[in-house]
Amino acid sequence: MIGKPRPTRLGPAAGLYLLGIAVLLVGPFLPLVVQSLAFRWAWPDLLPSEWWWSARETARLPLGWDYVLSPYSRVWEATLNTVGIGLATALVCLIICLPAARLLARREFAGKRLVELYLALPLILPEAVIGIALSLLFIRVGLAGSHVGIVIVHLIPTIPYMLRLLVAGFQSLSPEVEEQAAVLGARRWQIMTRITLPLLLPSAVAGFLFAFLVSTNLFLLTFLLGQGKIITLPTLLFSKLSGGALDPTTAGIAVLAALPGLLLAWLIATPLRQAWLSR
Amino acid sequence: MVAALLPLGGVLGLLLGGAVLLALAQSLGLAPWYGINTFPDFGYFAALWSSDGFWQSVALTLIYSVVATLLALLLALPTATLLVRRFPGRALFGFLYRLPLVVPYGVGIALAVLMMGNGGLLSRVAATLGWISDPAQFPRLLNTHAGWGVIAVYVWKQLPFMVVAIHAVLVAADREPAEAAHLLGAGRWAVFRHITLPQIAPGIVSATLICFAFNMGAFEAPFILGGGYPDTLPVLAWRYFNDADYALQLRGMATVVSIAALTGGLILAWLLAYRAYERRTGRLGHDR
Repeated sequence: MIGKPRPTRLGPAAGLYLLGIAVLLVGPFLPLVVQSLAFRWAWPDLLPSEWWWSARETARLPLGWDYVLSPYSRVWEATLNTVGIGLATALVCLIICLPAARLLARREFAGKRLVELYLALPLILPEAVIGIALSLLFIRVGLAGSHVGIVIVHLIPTIPYMLRLLVAGFQSLSPEVEEQAAVLGARRWQIMTRITLPLLLPSAVAGFLFAFLVSTNLFLLTFLLGQGKIITLPTLLFSKLSGGALDPTTAGIAVLAALPGLLLAWLIATPLRQAWLSR
Repeated sequence: MVAALLPLGGVLGLLLGGAVLLALAQSLGLAPWYGINTFPDFGYFAALWSSDGFWQSVALTLIYSVVATLLALLLALPTATLLVRRFPGRALFGFLYRLPLVVPYGVGIALAVLMMGNGGLLSRVAATLGWISDPAQFPRLLNTHAGWGVIAVYVWKQLPFMVVAIHAVLVAADREPAEAAHLLGAGRWAVFRHITLPQIAPGIVSATLICFAFNMGAFEAPFILGGGYPDTLPVLAWRYFNDADYALQLRGMATVVSIAALTGGLILAWLLAYRAYERRTGRLGHDR
């Protein structure tokens, strides 16, 4: 299976397996999109008998996507919050992780493993533990239900990923270039802004995008610490989902909540875009 | 050196340390802001551990977390090893398989309802094939304690994560030992078990740890797709925490501490087992 030197083709069984995995992972998106466009979809029809665009002409109230995009659904407020909190989280996370990543990539010191373990702690502490315990602390200090509080708490799950990407970035850039600049008389901030940061840019961008993605997908921490005052796409989706039936407007909100991630995935998938363009 | 670690260490230390200490203090009866100060008082833990349905909650939480993690690993291992090969459509597959990774869990829950619910697509397909004639005849997959829906959402979200983690280790691994073993006549299974598996073991361990820990603290999937009372531990903790009765809020904190202790203990056991495995395969000697 793995031992043959550079195998080029998959056997039929292996190909079928990967096809199955792809259908399992991507297939379920199809009924979601259909449901968001449906008006009447009775059991056991495989497709809706009446669609949103044919029903909207006779309806008095906004239906389907008209409702999702109207002010009643609060989708705009949630989108603005999601994107704004995501950008702020990613930026703050990048800034506080940069010095630590440089140190971890370049220096060996006693207790380094312990420091690394400590910085990876957010990955193995269950979210409900962090969220419920912190909500009490945040209520005490008055940060609960504020945008600042949400950004602070979103730092916790984004830090380990940002740090990993930045450490890899620092490891791939040799300290000699910086040393040469110093020998030639460059000041510290000049070395930082003219040499280190431009060379580190790809990893910093990757870390920023990843942190943004993690933040836009977070539900529980926003839900617990937002105290219902701060609505993001995941919390809006949750309140629709826990309301019971999965109607077209819930499906529409689910599609919107998936969009930031899908757009980013498309942006990052450069090999795919190249394969597409070179055809 | 300390200055470089300070911003990050400070933020994490204040948030995590503060949260954990506060939860611990409250679960032991130190909550002066509610007018309660009986520290150290193990009564909240005692009340929680002897409450109706608590151990069922523990069992459900563990079963969902472990079964989902193992299922995702089982499906991810062949996917990651096959992805190392070249095949037509590889770029497209590489894009598609990551899609669940980039969307919120809520989207996964919506998909589970649309696919697996009694009025969902699977039951419609069953009806079209003539197997059932009424939605009620379709087996109930959601909102039962068997947890099919909860497990399906975890697996759907985490399978891609595991593939990414294992594939990254596999790509970086040295392929020569496997090729040499193959030339010397080792079968595929022997090559996988004795060469590839030890190579990717660190990736498997970290990916399973992260997914398991996440599942132990997951809230929305069991809240929406679970079977109701007895709930999983995070849902139970949330219900206690939102109770108007202060004593029950403190019991909620005891639940939170119990989740952390249970998860931490199992992670430690898993890491110790992995160390023993590494020592047995003789790796610990040369790389550390």
